[in-house]
Formats: sequence, C-alpha cells, structure tokens
Amino acid sequence: MSVQRFVVIGNGPAANRAADSLREKAPESKITILSKDPFRSYRPHLLPDFIAGALKEEDLYFRPHAYYKERDIILRLGQSVVNIDFSKRNAILEHKELVPFDGLIVATGGKPRIPEQFRLFEELMLTLKTPTDAKLWIEKLASTEAVLIVGGDLTSLSLTKALLKLGKHVRFILNEDAFWPRPLNDEVYRAVTERLEQRGVEVIHCRRIKRMTRLQENLLEMETDSQTIEAGVLGAFFGLVPDVRFLVKTGLDIDHGVLVNEFLKTRFTDVYAAGDCAQVYHPGLRDYWVSIGYENAAALGRIAALNLLGSRLEVRVEPESILEVGGVKVNTSWWTEF
Amino acid sequence: MKIPARVLADQLKQIKDSGRFSPRSGALPTWCPGCGYFGIHQGLNECIASLGLPLHEIVTVSGIGCAGRYPFFTNNYGLHTVHGRTLPAATGVKLANPKLTVFAVGGDGDGLAIGGGHLPHIARRNIDVNYLLFDNSIYGLTKGQPSPTSPIGSKTKASPYGTTDRPLNATLMALTYGASFVARLFAGDPKGITEALLEGVRNPGFSIFHIHTSCVTFDKAFKTWTNLKKWTHPLPEDYDPTDIRRAFDEVLRDDFSLGVIYKREY
Amino acid sequence: MPEVDFTVEVCGMAGDGTIAAGGLINEAMSLGGFSVLGFDSYPAEIRGFGRCVTNSRIGSNEIVALGEHAHALISLNDEQSRSRAPFLSEHSLVFFDSNPPTYVQEEKSLLSVAPPGVIIFGIPFSDLAVSAAGSSRGRNLTALGGFAAVTGIEPDFFREVIKNKFKSKGDRVVDINLKSFDAGYEYAMGKFADRLLQLFPKSEDRAGHDKVVLSGNQAIGMAAIDAGLKLYFGYPITPATPIMEYLAKYLPEHGGRVVQMEDEISSIGAVIGSFYAGVRAMTATSGPGFALMTELITHGVMAEIPAVIIDAQRAGPSTGLPTKTEQSDLQAAVFGGPGDSARIVIAPTNVEECYYFTLKSFQLAEKYQTPVIVLTDFFLDNRVENRPLPKTTGEQVACWNIFPGESSKGRYQRYDDTPSGISPRSFPGMEGFNFTATGLEHTEKGTPDYSPENHSKMTEKRHRKIRSALNDLEKPVEFFPNDQLDVGVIGWGSTFGSVLEAVEKSRKNGFKVGALKITSIFPYHSEIIKAFMAKSKFVLIPELNYEGQLANLIAHLDLKPVERLNFVTGAPIPPSAIQNRVEELLEVRAQ
Repeated sequence: MSVQRFVVIGNGPAANRAADSLREKAPESKITILSKDPFRSYRPHLLPDFIAGALKEEDLYFRPHAYYKERDIILRLGQSVVNIDFSKRNAILEHKELVPFDGLIVATGGKPRIPEQFRLFEELMLTLKTPTDAKLWIEKLASTEAVLIVGGDLTSLSLTKALLKLGKHVRFILNEDAFWPRPLNDEVYRAVTERLEQRGVEVIHCRRIKRMTRLQENLLEMETDSQTIEAGVLGAFFGLVPDVRFLVKTGLDIDHGVLVNEFLKTRFTDVYAAGDCAQVYHPGLRDYWVSIGYENAAALGRIAALNLLGSRLEVRVEPESILEVGGVKVNTSWWTEF
Repeated sequence: MKIPARVLADQLKQIKDSGRFSPRSGALPTWCPGCGYFGIHQGLNECIASLGLPLHEIVTVSGIGCAGRYPFFTNNYGLHTVHGRTLPAATGVKLANPKLTVFAVGGDGDGLAIGGGHLPHIARRNIDVNYLLFDNSIYGLTKGQPSPTSPIGSKTKASPYGTTDRPLNATLMALTYGASFVARLFAGDPKGITEALLEGVRNPGFSIFHIHTSCVTFDKAFKTWTNLKKWTHPLPEDYDPTDIRRAFDEVLRDDFSLGVIYKREY
Repeated sequence: MPEVDFTVEVCGMAGDGTIAAGGLINEAMSLGGFSVLGFDSYPAEIRGFGRCVTNSRIGSNEIVALGEHAHALISLNDEQSRSRAPFLSEHSLVFFDSNPPTYVQEEKSLLSVAPPGVIIFGIPFSDLAVSAAGSSRGRNLTALGGFAAVTGIEPDFFREVIKNKFKSKGDRVVDINLKSFDAGYEYAMGKFADRLLQLFPKSEDRAGHDKVVLSGNQAIGMAAIDAGLKLYFGYPITPATPIMEYLAKYLPEHGGRVVQMEDEISSIGAVIGSFYAGVRAMTATSGPGFALMTELITHGVMAEIPAVIIDAQRAGPSTGLPTKTEQSDLQAAVFGGPGDSARIVIAPTNVEECYYFTLKSFQLAEKYQTPVIVLTDFFLDNRVENRPLPKTTGEQVACWNIFPGESSKGRYQRYDDTPSGISPRSFPGMEGFNFTATGLEHTEKGTPDYSPENHSKMTEKRHRKIRSALNDLEKPVEFFPNDQLDVGVIGWGSTFGSVLEAVEKSRKNGFKVGALKITSIFPYHSEIIKAFMAKSKFVLIPELNYEGQLANLIAHLDLKPVERLNFVTGAPIPPSAIQNRVEELLEVRAQ
C-alpha cells in the first residue's frame, strides 16, 4: 500500500494536536498542515500582553519550524484552502494547487464574531484573534488615547487590562451580546460593570447603536440611543464563530460550523472536523454544540486523528470550566446557542 | 594583380641578372636524389622569380612530411608548422597581412589525411592562399606507409597484405569543395607547374595545385617516373576551365590529364 | 545605514525570460548604486526542458563572491523552482504566479516544498501582463514589478533599464514591457500594503551611473578590441562562445574580423599564422578544445610565435559538464602538450581582471614570443559584476614587439641567444630579416639542428625567456598582510572571491588569517609565495578541482604539507566552506 496522505487544515490547537497524533500512530504517513495564516502557532491568550508591551512577538509563538521538520510534518503557512474536491479527494488552494489526501481533518478554528446589527460597521471595528490583529492594535494605539470597546467577551476583559496598563482611556459598552455565548443577565451585568468601573473604565449603558462614522484617520464617532461618543479606536468583542465559510460549496454539511457526528466524522469517509470550527452532534442533547477553549480544541483534534486512523472514540461534552467574573460564574467550555 | 607583360619581362631579366632575388636558399634540399619534389621546387622558384615580387613579401607555409621541409630551401619567409595544419596557419598569415603572397605546401598525408578537414573550409572561405599538394601516394618521411591516395592493394611495410581502402582524388575533392582555382600538374613538368602557378597566383582566392609526383625511394610500383610519364597527358584541346560541369566530367573520366582544370570567373 | 547584502534568484524554464529578468535586476541595482554580482546557470540542452536560474547578490559594499542562500526567489516556473527550495533562507521572500493557467499538482508546486518560514507573495503574473500589455510574455517583468514593490526598490531604476534594454526594438516594445512592470508593481503595492519592506535604502552618494554591468566574457571581448585585436579565430564551445559572439558583433566596426573556423586546431593554427605575420589575433575555447590546441601551442613555444588563448574552463574530463564550472585545466594549461614546453599562464579572479589581463596577454605574448593562456572558468565567464567602465592607457595597449635593429640586417639571427632569452623578432614584409619559423629544434639562425649541444642550449634559452617574463607578470597580492598567520589561504581564479570573503569573516571571528591571490600561474613568483607559506602555520588552497592542481604546482615551496579543499560540484565554492575549513584547522590545532 502506498503511503497514506493526511491533510490537516488549520494551525491552531486542534490542528496541531491532530497532526501530532497522526504522526504518533501512523509513523509512515505523509502529513501536511495547510494554514491560511502566514505565522506559526501562537497562544491567543497572550495577545493582550503583547499589545501592552509585556511580551515580544516571538514569545507569542510556541512551535519552532524545527518541531515540524523533526516530526516530518509538512507545515505550509499562508496558503489558503478555497475548496475541497471530495470526489477526487483534493484540497484546492487559492493559488490553484491540488493537494491530494486520503484522510482530512478540518480544524480551522474560529474567527471573531460580528453580530448582525454591527455588520454594516465591520470595517471600522478592530477585533483581536491573531498576531496580525494585535499588530494593528499596536499601530492604532500609538496615535490615540481613547478606546471604545463594544461587546465584552473574555478577550475584551484581558485587553482592557492591557489598555489600562498602557494608560489609555477605556470606555466600555456592555452590549446585550456581551459574554456570548452566555446571555447577559442582570446579575452578570452589574457585577462586571462594578469591576470595570473600579478599575477606572467608563461603562456606557445603551440599548442600541444607531450609527458609526469615521471622522478622521484617528477619530471615530458612535451614536447610540442616548449619546454620541468619540473614540480613536473601536474594538468589537463578541466571541468567536467557526471559520468555515470557504467550505460552503464543498458539499460538507455546514450550519454554523462543520456538522460532525459524535465521532467527529463529517458526511464524507475519512473526513473529520475538530476544534472551534466543528459543530458536534450530542446524542444526549439531541443537538449540536461547539467547543470553546484551547484544551477542548486540542482534545477534539486528537480524537479526530485517532478516529481517522480507525478508532471509534466518542466525544463527550467536557464539564463546564468556570470563569469567574466579579464573583459570577460563566461557562466557557461549550455552547449550543448562536 | 596584373602585371603588363613588358614590365614582367623587364623585371624577370633584372632578377635573373642580380642573383640577390634568387628564391632558392643556400640550404641543400634533404630530398632523395631523383625525388619529384625537385621539379616542383624548380617550378615554384621560376614562378616566384617571374612574379618579380620582393621575397620578404612571400611566405611559404608547410606542415610535416618530406614537403614540410620546403620552406628551408627558399629565401623568402617560411613557416614550418605541425603535421596537417598548413592551411589554417596559411589562413592566419594571409588574413593578417593581405599584401603577402602565401604559398602552402604539403604532401598527400599532410593535406588529405591528418589535415583533410581543413581543405573544404579554406576552399569555401576562398582565402587567397596558393596550395601546392605534392601527391606521391605514400608517406615518405616515415619510410613508406600507405597514404590516402594509395591505390587499393598497395603493399608496404604497414600494409604487407595490400591496402583495402579506396584512394581519394584530390582534384575531384577540390572541385567539390568549391575551390576557385584548380590545376592538376606533374612534377616531371616544371614548366607546366610554373605556368599554372603564374595563372593561379593571380586568382584572388584559394588556388589548389594538385601535383602528381614520385617517391623514388619507397614507391617502386605505382607512381614511378615511368608510370607517371606514361599516364600523364595534357587536357583535351577544346577544354574550357571555366565550365565546372566539364571539369567534373574530365576529372571523373581521367586521373592524369594535366593543366588548369577549373578557374572561377569573377 | 544598514549594510545591504541581499541575494535574489529568478528561476524558470528556457523561454520564460528568466535570464532577461535576472539581467534587469543586475542593471537596475547597479543603477541604484549597489554593488552587484550576478550569475546565471542554464542547461546544456537549450530550449529542451531546461531550467534557468539567475542569482544576483546585491550589496552596499563590494561583492566578491556568490550568495549562498537566496533571500528572495522569483519563480517564473514553479516546477523548476522547486530545485531552489533548499537554497532559501528561513525568511526568504517567494514570488510566484498565484493564478497559473491550469491547476497544479502538489508534486509540481513550489510552495509544497518551500520552507514554512518563507514569506509568500502570490501575484497573478500572467493575468496582469495580459491585461496590461495584451500578452503574457511580459510576465517576467510583472514579476519584477512585484519584487520591486515588496522590497522597496525605486521603480524608476527598473523603468530606466527596461527602456535601455528594449529601445532597439522600438517604442511599442518598450511600452509593453513598462506596462507589464508597472502592472506588477501596482498590484503588489496594493495587495501587500501591510507588508512592504524597505530593504534597499536610497542614498545620494551611491549613484551608479558610471558603472557598467559586464560579464567576464564581455570584459574579455572588450579588452581584445581595446588591445587592437584584428583577427579572432574560434570554434563554438561552452562557455567560451559568448566571446566569439561579442567580437562577431563589435570587432568589424573596429576594423577586425571574426572567422569561425572548422575546429579548435585550425583556430589556434590561424592565430599562430596571424601573429607570425605580425598581427594581434586571439582564440577562446574550453577544455576539450584546449586539448586539441596543445600541439600547436607547443609549436608556438618552439617556434617562438605569440598567441593569445582564452581557456574558459568547464567541468571535465572529456565533454564533462559543459555548463558547470571547474578549475581543472590548470595542469593542461601549464604542462599540456609534448616536450618541455613552458609557456605563460595567467588567471584573472574577477571581471575587472578579465579585462586587464586580456589586455596584458597581448603584450606578454608579443614580448615573450610565446603562447599566453588566460585561464577563466564558467563562473567567471558568465558572472556579471558592475564596475566602472574600463579605461585603457596608451601604455596598456602599446605594442611590445621587439624588432631587430637595422644593423643586424644580413646577419640576422631570429633565435639569437640573448641574456633574457628574448630574441628580436621580424615578420613577413620586413626586408632583410627573412627566416623560417619551425617546430623542429633549430639553431639561433633557425636552421633545423638535432645536435645535443644545440638542443640543450636552445631549450635552456626558451625557459630562461619564460622566467624573464616574471618581470612583467602580476605579483601575488597579499590581503590582510601580517607577519605571522595561523592560516594562510591561497586562492586563484574565480575561487579567490570566496577565499577573500571567507578570510574576512574568519578575521571578524578573531582568527589570524590572511589571503594570497595568485594570478600568474606560470611562471609564478616562487619567492613571494614561499614567504607567505613560511609565515603561515597552515597553508590552505581551496580549488574547484579534485586533484588540487595549483596545490600540486606550488606545494613543494614549503616543507609542511599544504591543506587542500577541493570541490567538484560544478558550482563555485561557497565562502562558508572555506571559512569552516579555516576555523576547523585552528580548532583541531587548539585541542
């Protein structure tokens, strides 16, 4: 039998753990990681520290190229998959290259979620998912003192800390979408507001954002139902959603993420999805769920790899891992609502 | 270069009277007594004397073989090169200084075997060199081996059972290569050699003089004086050397008719 | 200002315009005031399925050797460019056509073998060229536009050299090419706006307008014309052919003539005939052709006739590797041929020396009445460097013939045994000095003579003459001179640049290292070389040959064994290999 060719799309925790597991269990196989991002694997939770200047860019990355070379894993960075031909079993890259596979794991992770009502203003808002995003923050912050944050997920809270450290004036709109995927109940709202205000953040209460405009290069204006706010930088933090738009035409079942069964298998033989991009069926819930967090993603990556190699491991919903925000507990492990 | 006959006669007399312009050097030729090369030497010397050219503007180029020694027996400039490379060296001399009159001399081994690759090219370039091919059908200096013009069956020390290779026909080759002046001559007829040379030297391109000659020491069977005298004869009365088709016909029919076989009209 | 030392490669198939693109990079960077060393490699099978690669090393300081790693690769054919992947450095920039006409299989893709750290710039070369100029032929220029934009090269440098290159083909062709370039430039400025680099800082004092980009072969051709060459005789052979082609184009307007001969034997024969008749002539060949010439070269030695022969070495023996470089003809050049046939052999080490050594070779040949062999090699012949346009003085082109005095008329001896061994030489047309030049052993008068006394005397005379030539030959040059050296590296020919760079780097690492450049290969300045070897604890001779041919020639000058570093890879010796060997020698010694 010829060498088995495995392709992993993505370069986050799920993808890397999947590749490692494949290499461990199938030492003779050819393993290729295809990543649209031009940079190495990084630790997203360190991005705020990087923005604050507490870390060098190099410290964000955790796997040197040599790691892959030693394990004979082909790492291809900055090369986007635009389609997958499941009949000929080729991943099709943006530059018109066909990468054949015998087994495929989709582990593209998530991308910043912009709620429907903000889509119009998307290009005025900064998000924070990748080192590239972080560099843009650094660039923008160099010429502004006032930052306005809308939303309020976990990342926004650690970024706020970093911004305060930099001496920036931070205003926060705790939108109804804040703390998604959990609904923002009054209890959480009050607790978070209090905590933020203690630290010197101005928390703005508003029901609806009516308009956003760029006045100058470094000046944005936002009109809410109650007031008009000016800021140099506007950050949008509404959590992540699966980054699977490029898969829509492939024939995979896509809802919000790639729909997989409890074994992480898609509708195609030997094609799996894992991590933040997968929407996993739960026979108990009789519903689909999506994981959150680094460790969860990595665990799913491993299961996908082992199942691709012939195991039959069922995914279990992890116990809720708890984040405490101002004494209020929030589930950060998984979600089912969109 | 055309010299009026009257001037020529005048110069000729002057040269002969002075002796200073004698093309023959003091060195005695190393050829065997009775060698055909003496006749060629005489024919060429007469030509040089008749041309009335200053000897320092004449160069004789040679390769290796009995004919290779030729430049030492003349008083003009000489260039004795290596085996087979007479014609390339002569090409260099003539192109370097077109005022020089260049004679190239060599045997059938030098010109048709080792140096055989050069003949077509000097012919097609039509370099104004006058090439005297001494064809005795044997290697004399190395003491008698068959040459490219030896007839099939030639027995020598190197071919004790007789040769099996067909001989080359130098006149036919020269015509084929497009030489602009081709003469076939006989060493036993120095006067004929002089006449042909005087005509050929005036050809502003490559002239070849294919001269049948005898090796009295190593060839007792083929090109003996007796045979050559018997075989050679003038070209037909009505022969027209400007007609290339006629020239081919003549050379294909007859190996020993003598005279100017072909001259290109410019 | 940061020092620039940047290597860019262009790789494609024969017909992709690869060599043209590389040439434009060299010209543009020269115009930008940088030092440039460029080298192309191409297949022996022209227009077959051949890969072409150009390598340009661009520096703010003088560049003496080829770059070992590419900081940028411009791929005009990804399948061919895969072979360049091992030469990419970790963060190389890779430019490639992101929209090829058909889908590409993984095993033919460049990106599937590129190291993960490279920075990818996908540019639809063909599409942009088609929409800008109506044809994809200009895609090499589109690629250059993208390269210029990303690396921060002033686009006007490229525009000017594009105009120069195509002006002879008419305004329309210039326009098409400019448009193709601009299309790539503008695309990249927009598409990669977030990652544009400024790798080539502009500087006023780096105006490169007085410099010309020349290959070794062009320099040789120019020098021959400047030396008053009248006749070139040659036969096509890689890598010497460009010399013939250059002269075929330019020699006629200087009153000379190129004759393509039937072989190398006739070429050297005609050169000897020309010099015999008093006219400067030259031939250029490579190993196989040089082998054919050896008999007539020794004729030049024996008959004391000048000749100038360029031996553009390539990898051998026999047909060998016609398009790969090697320095393995040294022994053939110095010793090749029958008999004790000492002749002059010189070897330039860079393009500038190709020019000046060729000029000098005519004078040496004339004065010492012997063939002079100029040893170059594929790398030196084909590499380009930007240098100030060579200028010659009357002195450098003066005729060095030594003629007999009027008083010797009538008793002239062509091979007069003088103290220097140099006999005044006449040639046809000079009245009263007639003689016959011969390859037979001869007396002072030129008469053949086989006596033991005469052969002994005349052999000694010819060798004395060659020794006299040391007076006019370039002395070895010591770089970083020092009274004591831990390692003395001796280099010759195209390898010397690598030696120099390696020694410079080793010195920066604190090692006591020096370099000696030998350009006079035979005869050589034994006292100078001996002194250099004596004061070096280790003597290292890196060469592009297996046998250590220079080492064999000079090793006897010192008692300790010479350390050799021999490469027969067909490619120039990387400076790092020499540096490693130097440092290895010292570390072993330290243990």
